[in-house]
Amino acid sequence: MSQGGQLDVDVAVIGGGPAAMAFCTALADTGLNIAVIDEQPRPGGQILRQPPADFEIDNWLPGSAYRGLKRQLARFEALKNVRWIGGSAVLGLDRQFEGFELCLDGASGTRIVRARRVLTATGCYDLAAAFPGWTLPGVMTAGGVQTLLKSQQVLAGERIVFCGTHPLQLIVADQVMQNGGRVEAVVFVQSFHAAWRMMFHHTSTMLANMDKLVDAATALARLKRRGVPVRFGEVPERAIGYDRLEGVTLRAVEGGGAPVHLTCDTLALCFGFAPQSDLPRSLDAAIAWDEPYGGWRILHDVWMRSSVDGLFVAGETAGVGGAQKALIEGELAALGCAGDAGVLTPEEAEQRAKPLRRAHGRALAFAAMLRALTDPGEALRKMVTAETVVCRCEIVRHRDIDAALREHVQVGRPNAVKLLTRAGMGGCGGRNCEPAVVRQVSQSLGRLPEPQDAFTARFPARSTPVSRLI
Amino acid sequence: MRVRQGVKRGDTIGIRVDGAEVAAFAGETVAAAMLAAGLRVFRHDPEGFPRAPFCNMGICYDCLLEIAHKDALPVRLRACMTLVSPGMSVTTGCDGKV
Amino acid sequence: MKTATGNRRFDVAIIGGGLTGCGAAFHLVRKGASVLLVERAQINAGASGQNAGSLHFQLERRLVEHDSAASAIAARTLLLSRAAIRDWRALEALLGTDLEVVMAGGLMVAETAEEMALLERKQALEATYGLDVELLDGPEARLRAPYLSDRVIGAAFCPHEGHAGPRVATVAFARAAEAAGACITTEIRVGKISRSPLKGFVLDLVEEGGRTERVSADIVLAAAGAWTMEVGQLANVHLPLFPLALTMTATERCAPLIPHLVQHAGKRLSLKQTHAGNLLIGGGWPARLRQRNAAPYGFDLERRAVLRPPMLIENLNIACGIVPAVANLNVLRTWTGIVAETPDHLPVLGEVSEVPGFYVAAGGSGFTLGPTVARVLSEMILTGTTSEDVSHFSPARFGGLNSTMGL
Repeated sequence: MSQGGQLDVDVAVIGGGPAAMAFCTALADTGLNIAVIDEQPRPGGQILRQPPADFEIDNWLPGSAYRGLKRQLARFEALKNVRWIGGSAVLGLDRQFEGFELCLDGASGTRIVRARRVLTATGCYDLAAAFPGWTLPGVMTAGGVQTLLKSQQVLAGERIVFCGTHPLQLIVADQVMQNGGRVEAVVFVQSFHAAWRMMFHHTSTMLANMDKLVDAATALARLKRRGVPVRFGEVPERAIGYDRLEGVTLRAVEGGGAPVHLTCDTLALCFGFAPQSDLPRSLDAAIAWDEPYGGWRILHDVWMRSSVDGLFVAGETAGVGGAQKALIEGELAALGCAGDAGVLTPEEAEQRAKPLRRAHGRALAFAAMLRALTDPGEALRKMVTAETVVCRCEIVRHRDIDAALREHVQVGRPNAVKLLTRAGMGGCGGRNCEPAVVRQVSQSLGRLPEPQDAFTARFPARSTPVSRLI
Repeated sequence: MRVRQGVKRGDTIGIRVDGAEVAAFAGETVAAAMLAAGLRVFRHDPEGFPRAPFCNMGICYDCLLEIAHKDALPVRLRACMTLVSPGMSVTTGCDGKV
Repeated sequence: MKTATGNRRFDVAIIGGGLTGCGAAFHLVRKGASVLLVERAQINAGASGQNAGSLHFQLERRLVEHDSAASAIAARTLLLSRAAIRDWRALEALLGTDLEVVMAGGLMVAETAEEMALLERKQALEATYGLDVELLDGPEARLRAPYLSDRVIGAAFCPHEGHAGPRVATVAFARAAEAAGACITTEIRVGKISRSPLKGFVLDLVEEGGRTERVSADIVLAAAGAWTMEVGQLANVHLPLFPLALTMTATERCAPLIPHLVQHAGKRLSLKQTHAGNLLIGGGWPARLRQRNAAPYGFDLERRAVLRPPMLIENLNIACGIVPAVANLNVLRTWTGIVAETPDHLPVLGEVSEVPGFYVAAGGSGFTLGPTVARVLSEMILTGTTSEDVSHFSPARFGGLNSTMGL
C-alpha cells in the first residue's frame, strides 16, 4: 500500500502554483519544514504549467505577464526548506490530534503526510458551460487548449474557435497563432459596447492595472493584424459533428438574425473559473458562492485562515482573482502561519503585512472589475436547452434536473437532486456540473445559492484505482 | 499537431494505442501524444457517445483510458495526467470492462 | 382540519422522512387517515438514502458469531424477513414505479473451516424461522458465482437476497403518499411534544428561520432513524437507539459481473453491483461520528460522519480477496451514513405504553425491513392488530428504563 512511509512536516501545502510558491518563499528562513504536493510533475500550477524536463524551448511563455511569475518559480525551485511531491493527488484531508493527516495518491500507491498546519492553494478550473453538443471530442476549455500548448507544445486542433466571456481567450488565441496554429474566430458573449461601458465604470481600477490590460490589448491587436475575426454578442448554439467536432453555430444574444456557422475542429470555451475547494469543504470550512461564475470559495480572515483551525487558504481557492492576488495571499498566509507557529512575533507579522494589504486591496479591486466585465450573466442560461447534458459523467440532462425539482416532494437542495438524478456522482465528482446544478436549483426556487447547496465533498478527492489503494 | 519551431524534444518513445504504434516523446502525456497523432476519440460515454479530453488538467475524467505500463496489468487512468513510457499500451473506448 | 384553537389537526403525525416514515405515511393515508410527515432536512437525506441498498435476509455474521443466547435473540429479526421478501417482491407493482429491485440471490462466503461452521450454525437457526438457505461448497459456489476467487471454500446461498435502489425507494413512497393526500413538510423540526388536553398530542413545529406552528395529532409515530432517541426525549421516554456511522464505497461502472448480494461469514464485507453498473462495497466498516464544537457537547448528527481511509482500504482488500476483478476498477466515491442500533440489534416497533398514542419504528435493518415495518406499524395504528408477530420488538422490552418516564 504505502510507498515511502509516512512523512511528518510542519506545513503541508496542497497545490504548487503562485500562491504556494509565494507562501514557501516567505517562510524560507523560518526553519519550518514544508511539503508541497501537486498532481503535476513540476511546480508552477496551471498558469505556469511547465514543459517536460526533457524539452528545450526557446523563449517559453514570453510576455510581461509571466516574467514575475517565472522569477518566482526559479526562487521556489531553489528553496531548501521545501520538499516537492509532484505527480501526487491529495485524496483526503483529515483532522488528527493537533494537526492534519493527508492521504496522497501516486503511481506507486498511497502515502500519508502529517502536518501541523495546511495551506490549500489548489487553484481553480475552467467553468463548464453547457450547450447542445458540448460533449463532442474537440470541445475543450480554453485553459485546456492553453496548457496543451504551453506545456506539451501540442496544438489541440487545426482550426480553433474560441468562445466565452473572459479576455483570457484573447491571450490563448494569440498564443495559438504565434505557434503556427489557426484561429477561426474569437467570440465574446458580451456586446462590444457593454464591454467598453463596463471598463469605463472602473476607470481608476483599469488605470491601476494597465499592465494586465495591455497584454489582452496586445493579443487583440495581433489577432486583428492576422485577420482573425473577433466577434461580440454571440453564444454557441450547437456544436456539430458525428463523432468529433466539425463546426459550431453561433446565435446572437440579443434579437434575432440567422445563426452563423463556423467550421472548426476545436472549440475552446472560456466562461470563467470555479475555485477548487473540495478538500477544505470536506472539513466543513465556511464557504460562499463565488460570483459571477460559480463554485465555492473558502472564507478566510485577514491572515488567510479558514474557519478550520490550522487550515489556511490562498489564491483562487479563496475566490477567483488572478495570479497577482494569489501571490499576495500566499505571502499573507505565510505571515499568518509563521505568527501562529511562533516564528514571527505579532508585531513583525503586522509590519510585513502592511504593504501586502495595500497591494491586496488593489488586486481585489482588479479582480472585482474583471468579474464584472466577464459576468456570464444570462448567457449560461440561454445556452442550455432541456435536452442539454448538464452532468457530463452521468449524462443527466437539464430536463432531468427540472423533473426532479418538479415531481418530487419538496426537493430543495442540490444534494437531494444529486441523489435523485445521479448528477455529480461520476468520475469528476461533480466539479463540472455542480455550478450548473446549484444555479438551476436556486433559480427554480427563486433564491440565491447558499452554503448548504454545496455537494458533499468526500474522500477520495480524485477517483483513483483500487489497486493503488490496497 | 506538435509545435516544431523553437522546440527541441527529447527521446522518442513508442507506445501502442489500440494495437497501433504511436510515436511520442519523453515527457509527453498520453493525451498530448494521441491528439498530436490525430486520434480524437478517446472513449465512449454510458450512452455510447464519443469523448475526448475536455479540461486537460485532470478534472473532467473524459480522457479516462485503459493504460498498461510495459508488462503490467492495465489500470484506468486519465490520459492527460499520465506520462508516456516505453512499451506502454493504451486501449480506448472501454468504460470499465473488467 | 383545524382544532377549536385554529391549529391544523391530523390523525397521525410522523416524525422522520426516511423509508419507514414515508412508507407509513403511504399506508396510513391510503386507509383514510389524515397524515402529517415532518422531516428536519430533505426526504431520504438520512440513512435511508445513504445505505447501499442491500436486501439481506440471512442473519448477519456479527449477530451469530458470539454466544448463542445473544444469537437467539438477534435471530428474532427473521420473524420479519419472510414478510420482507414478499413485500419487496410486490413493491414495484404497489408503487407503480421502478425501484431497481433485484432479488437474484445472496451468498455469504467462507474462507476457513471456522467460517463454514458458523454458516452451518446460522443455517440451523434460520431454518427454525422458515428462511430458505442452502449451503454450498467451493466449486458449487463458483459455479453459481464465477466472479468468486479460489479462496472461497463454501457459501450460504439465499435465493431471495439482492438489492434495491435507496435513492428511489423512499421518494417513491413519499410521492405516492403526497398524491394520496398526505401532508409532507421538509426543513422543519419538531421542537416540542405535549399532551393535548383533549386527545392525542400537540406538536410545536419549528422552521430554520425560527417561525413556529402548532399542530395537533391523535397519534405520533417516531421513525427518525439515528434521531429517534432525541425524538423520544421530546416525549419524555428513553428509546435506546444509538447512532453508528458506516462507510460505503462505489467503484466506477463496469460490465455486468455480480448479479448477487455478496457477504462474508468471517469478515466485514458486502458487495453488489447496481443497476447502473457501479460496484458498491461495504460491510459495516466504521466511520467516525462528529463531535459538537460547542455546548451541548457530544455527537453532532447534523454533520456527516468522517471517513477513515484505513477502514476503507481494509474493506477494499477484503473485497479484492473475494472478487479479484475489483482490483481493476477505480474507486469513484465514498460516503458515510449514520444508522440507529439498539443494544440487542432488534428494531424497536410499537406503542410506548408510558405514552399512549406514541409509536416508534426504528433500528434493525432499516432498508431491508423498511417497507414491512411501515406496513405493519400502519396496521397497528389503524386497527390495533398486526399481520406479523412483532411483539419481540416492542418498546416494552425497555420498560425498565421508562418506569419513571412518560407524558
